[in-house]
Amino acid sequence: MGLPNPVSLVQICCLKMAFLKRQGVSLIEGFTESPPLNRYNFIMHEQRDMKNEPRPSVWITDAVTVTALGNTLWESWQGIVAGQTAIRPVRRFSVDSCNARVAACIEGLEPSGEHSMIHALTERLLTSIGPVPSDALLITATTKSGIDNLERLHQGVSADDQDILLTSIADTVSQKLGLTGKGINISAACASSAIAVARGAGQIASGMAEAVLICCLDIVTEFVFSGFSCLRAMSPEPCRPFDRDRDGLSLGEGAAALLLMSKERACREGRECLGTVMGWGAANDATHLTAPARDGCGLIQAISQAVKKAGLKAEDIATISAHGTGTIYNDMMELTAFREVFGNRKIPVYSIKGAIGHTLGAAGGIEVAVGLKTLSEQIAPPSVGLAHPEGWASGRVSPEPADISGEFLLTTNSGFGGINAAIILGRAI
Amino acid sequence: MIASVTGIGWVTAAGTGCGRDHDRFVMADGQLPELTGKMVFGKRNPRFGRMDQYSRLGVAAIAFALRDAGLEEWTVKRHIGIIVSTVYGCLHTDMDYFETVMPHEEGAMPSPHLFAYTLPSCFLGEAAIRFGLTGESFAVNDPSPRGLAGLRMSLDSIACGEMDKMLCGVCDANCPPIFAGTEGNNFRPLPAAGVTGALFFMIEKDPETNLPPYGELDLNDKGDILFNKTETGSLESLVHGCLMLDA
Repeated sequence: MGLPNPVSLVQICCLKMAFLKRQGVSLIEGFTESPPLNRYNFIMHEQRDMKNEPRPSVWITDAVTVTALGNTLWESWQGIVAGQTAIRPVRRFSVDSCNARVAACIEGLEPSGEHSMIHALTERLLTSIGPVPSDALLITATTKSGIDNLERLHQGVSADDQDILLTSIADTVSQKLGLTGKGINISAACASSAIAVARGAGQIASGMAEAVLICCLDIVTEFVFSGFSCLRAMSPEPCRPFDRDRDGLSLGEGAAALLLMSKERACREGRECLGTVMGWGAANDATHLTAPARDGCGLIQAISQAVKKAGLKAEDIATISAHGTGTIYNDMMELTAFREVFGNRKIPVYSIKGAIGHTLGAAGGIEVAVGLKTLSEQIAPPSVGLAHPEGWASGRVSPEPADISGEFLLTTNSGFGGINAAIILGRAI
Repeated sequence: MIASVTGIGWVTAAGTGCGRDHDRFVMADGQLPELTGKMVFGKRNPRFGRMDQYSRLGVAAIAFALRDAGLEEWTVKRHIGIIVSTVYGCLHTDMDYFETVMPHEEGAMPSPHLFAYTLPSCFLGEAAIRFGLTGESFAVNDPSPRGLAGLRMSLDSIACGEMDKMLCGVCDANCPPIFAGTEGNNFRPLPAAGVTGALFFMIEKDPETNLPPYGELDLNDKGDILFNKTETGSLESLVHGCLMLDA
């Protein structure tokens, strides 16, 4: 099935976006300090009239990652496909009192002066990104930003307290890239970056922006590690997503930057299309603060919204990049939701958390970047750590890479507070 | 017109309130009220009492906004989303939690209860559970003092046809004194939050109840938020517009 985007409509939308670009349109305060918007009402009312029609294409024109498996997306991808794991004993802080002692930490990542480690991670991330237009809207996603500086301040070590605020990454990225807007941060637990991608894609699809940069980052800190330990959510050994003997997650750290662009702007600038953001959805299961709804109601709702927005059917999805944390209840909830949506179909499902750990607020962004590779290479990565698939996972989740055949990938994330998010990516054409 | 304002609820240093109760809305500096379940729900609520201060602020203001809109009671979960703008988020709770990680007493353990509230979006989950809200829910950390990011994003969701009903607003407790630049330490003072306390609006594309809405929200050709065709520059001024108060 091809991409449902008739050329004529795309052209109309591109013309509108070109017009909006000249007006510096943004719906989100803080995105732009540029000249004010124009004819906004006209566009909004047109959107409502158009909402049942195909939307403008949202292209991903650049995708970079830093994970414990490598400083580039290619390195991470190769490691993931090769079935490697970066989950190792933690040496950054004492884990003597914790129930787990392993995590996927990035080699050589250190705080610099009074700066949090998040700065060092940001620096590494932005090293490999290509040119970013200065008018790109900036959305960051992190759960705890530079919370390591709270630890240092608590220990009487000099540290920049500003890094603790969740807006600090947006300030840093905006300054480093010379963007005209300051940007905002989205915080939705482990679904933070999936929601950031959804919001960014929404801005482009509705004609409110031509370029959006999503930056997702989180680090392994004593603060977070001790928290998941006291919740008894971590596995003593490297995690085993979707295994019937799984017993918890393994933390990881990492970052992703995704440059989203309208097709028109990307073509004008001669940018490569790495893939498209086709659909998105988000829903709360309204059940429990730290545990998912067992019937998967929130995830089912989010997936349904995403499939509908993409103008697809469930059978069009070639593979699923699951949240797959390795906790008993998350994985069971996901399998329940996938079974509800995809029935008995033997759709390939994978989780990369056995390879790079659970990178929290960065997870969704990294998984989108890896999802682009999955679609372009037509290979579903292995789920590292899997030995005995749990129930519905049997025949769908594999410890080996699997060939896929199709144009669309579903990626999902769920988090504390009952939030669930789903993104559908389209293969580059 | 994108949506109608159908409910307003707040907790500020001057007190708590709902728009239709003719409560006095004042943004004031000072200590925020110590909220209890009885104050918010009219009866004891142990779950509310166990929440951190930031969550109690937010859940209370959401409860008041839903009550004001006639939407507090429910039997079937509703597709209502929540977006909150915040500057400090759960910083107080972060500090309280980390105190338990670095205990002064031998053998003390980190608090799983406190850790569960160390995300600025967690109280949205509490509100979703309490009021059966299944729409998108997230916090936006926006350095702007006007606190309008959540409202703009909510209008965006409604305008694009993704949502029909949204709760949106701000939630910020007082800046922890250690970060306020008043304790003689070397910390750089953190930026001030636009609103101290919590303020939420219920906005609906098509109001569900027969209660008269406060007015209509839209966006003008410059992207400014309009309330009844007049530009509103902050959430505080939006309350004044809704309640027809002098600014």
